[in-house]
Amino acid sequence: MRLLKIAYKNIARKKIRSLLTIGGVAMAVAVLVSLLGFNAGYKMALNNDVDKMGYQVLVTAKGCPYEAATLMLKGGGGLRYMDADVYDRIVTDDRIDKITPQLATVKTIEGGGFTMYMGIEDSYTELKPWATFKEGKWFTSPEALEVIIGYEAAELEQRTIGDQIFIPDTREILTVVGIFERTGTQDDGVIFLPLKTAQKIFDLPDQLTGIGIKLKDLGQLSAFEEDLYDEGSIQVISLAQVKGTILNLISSAQILVTSVAIIAIFVAIVGVINTILMSVFERTQEIGVMKAIGAGNRQIFQLIWYETIIICTMGGLLGSLFALAGGSGVEYFVKRFLPFAPEGNLIYISPQLILFSLLGAIALGLFSGIYPALRASLMKPIEAIRSGE
Amino acid sequence: MSKSNIKYFISLVLLNISLSVLWGAVGCSLNDPDRDVIRIFPASTNYKTEYISINSQGGEEMQREIEARLGDVFDEKFEKTDVEYSYYTILKGSEIIGRIHGLNQRGRFGGMQLILATDLEGRIVDFYYQKISSPEADKFKAIEFTNQFLGISLQDFYENAQDSTKTRLAQIKDPSQENRQDFEYTLRGIKKNLIQLDFFFLNRIHDKYFNPEKEN
Repeated sequence: MRLLKIAYKNIARKKIRSLLTIGGVAMAVAVLVSLLGFNAGYKMALNNDVDKMGYQVLVTAKGCPYEAATLMLKGGGGLRYMDADVYDRIVTDDRIDKITPQLATVKTIEGGGFTMYMGIEDSYTELKPWATFKEGKWFTSPEALEVIIGYEAAELEQRTIGDQIFIPDTREILTVVGIFERTGTQDDGVIFLPLKTAQKIFDLPDQLTGIGIKLKDLGQLSAFEEDLYDEGSIQVISLAQVKGTILNLISSAQILVTSVAIIAIFVAIVGVINTILMSVFERTQEIGVMKAIGAGNRQIFQLIWYETIIICTMGGLLGSLFALAGGSGVEYFVKRFLPFAPEGNLIYISPQLILFSLLGAIALGLFSGIYPALRASLMKPIEAIRSGE
Repeated sequence: MSKSNIKYFISLVLLNISLSVLWGAVGCSLNDPDRDVIRIFPASTNYKTEYISINSQGGEEMQREIEARLGDVFDEKFEKTDVEYSYYTILKGSEIIGRIHGLNQRGRFGGMQLILATDLEGRIVDFYYQKISSPEADKFKAIEFTNQFLGISLQDFYENAQDSTKTRLAQIKDPSQENRQDFEYTLRGIKKNLIQLDFFFLNRIHDKYFNPEKEN
C-alpha cells in the first residue's frame, strides 16, 4: 500500500508528462472499446432489422442484380417481376407456416426523392405482427382504392384517416384508411395498398416482386430452397445468408479500424515505456539512495511497475468514459461510411466490455512496465548515486 | 444463394434505407442548398443556415400570436411548435442580400413544400413548390402562377384580410380547375411562412398592417 502511494506521488510529480501518457492510453482504449462495441451493436441491430422483416425466406424474380442507384434512376423501373402463379404453386407446401405475396414499385417525388408503394394482402400482418395501427383499420376490400401509410410517410405527406393521396403517373386518387405505428424499419416510409389494387393501377396484372415466407421448421430451409431451385423464373433468398453477406460487406471496414486500434495500442505501449523509462533515468540517484538505505530489487521493481499500472488503469478508465460519451458521434461517423447501416444503435458498450477493456489496460501496464522496472531494480546503488556527479 | 442474388436483395434493402433517410427530413430544408442558393441569388457568395423552431422563440404564446395573424389554428398533428424550420441567410461578401425559407403545408393530396426567397424587407423575390402532390401539380408549379407572388409581402396578406378587392393578392387566380383547396393551402402556407419570417428575423415590422378584427 505504501509503495502504491509513493508510486502515485511519483506520477503526480510530472503532471503534464503523466497526463499526456494517460491520454495516449485513453485514446487507444477508447478506439478499442468503440470498435468492440460496434461489432456487438452492429450484429444486434442487423439481427433486429432482418428479424423485423418478418420472414426467413424471400422469393423474388430471377434476374441480374441491380444497383440501388439504377433502381432510383429508373424510378423502380429496374424492379423485376414474376408471375403470381408462382405464389399459387408455393402456397400449398406443407413446410410453410406463413406466406405473403408483395408487389413493390417506386415513384418519383416532386423535387427529388422517391416513394415506395407496396401491394399487400391480409397475410402481410401475420408475418409482421408488430405492424399495428396508430389510426384507422385494414382495407375494406381486396380491390379497394385505399392506402395504409407507414408512420413516417404519414408525417411527411401530412395525411390522416379519410384524406386522399395522389399517386403520380397513374393519375389515381386513393383514400387513407389506416396509419401504421412506427416500427423503426423501412416500412415506416412505405405506402401500402391492396395487392390487387396495386396490380391494377400500376398496370402489372398477375405480377409480384416478392413472396415472404416463414417456415414451420427453420431446419427445413435447405431442402425448401433446393425444391424451389427447379422453378426457373425465381430465386430464393434466405435472410440468414443476407445477414452473413452484409456482415462480410462491413468486414473490410472492420479490418481497417482494427488495424488502427492495434497501431494505437502499440503507440500507447511505446509511449508508456518511454515515459516510465525517462522517469527512471531522471530518478537514477534517487533510486540509488533508496537502495543504499535498504530498498531491495523487488521493492524497486514493484514501485516502477505500480507507476505503470496506475497510468494504464487511469488511461483505461478515461478511455472507457470517452467511448461511452462519444458513442453517438462514432455511430454517426460510421453510419456515413458503411455500405449498409441497420436501424437502431450501432454501438453497444456493455458492462462486460468496459471490464474487459479495464483488464486489458492493466495488462498493458503490466507488460509495458517490465523493462523500465527491471532497469531500475538492477541498478547498482553506488553507480546510481554517482551518476549525477 | 449466388452473389448476384444477394447483391440484388441488398440493393433493395439499400433502396429502402435511402427512402427512410428521405422521410427523415421534416423542417422543409432545401433539397440542394448549394445549387438552389446560387440559382435564386446569382450574386451570392455564401450563405448561413439556421434552424429555428417556434418553441425556441416563444413557445405556445408565439403560436397563438402566429395563429391570430394567420387567421387559422395550427393542425395539432402536423404543425407542432418543436419543428425546426431552415432559414438560409444569403450573403454577398459580408452583406446580407436576402433569405430563403421553406415550410411544409398540408395539401389536398399530400404534403406541400413551399419555398420562398425574400429580400431584407420580407418581399418575395422567388417562390416555388419543392414538393406538391396533385393531379394539377403542373399548373401550380408553372411560373405563370408562381411569378404572380413576386413582390408580395406580409403587408399584402394583412391588407387583403381587411379588403380583398384592391390588393395585389386578390389578383392572383387559382390555376387549377378542380383543386381550389390546394390554392387555398398554398396561400395559407405562404402567409404562415412570411409571418414566421417577420417574427424570427424582421422584428415584426409588418405588425402595423395587422388588424386582428379583420382576420378571419
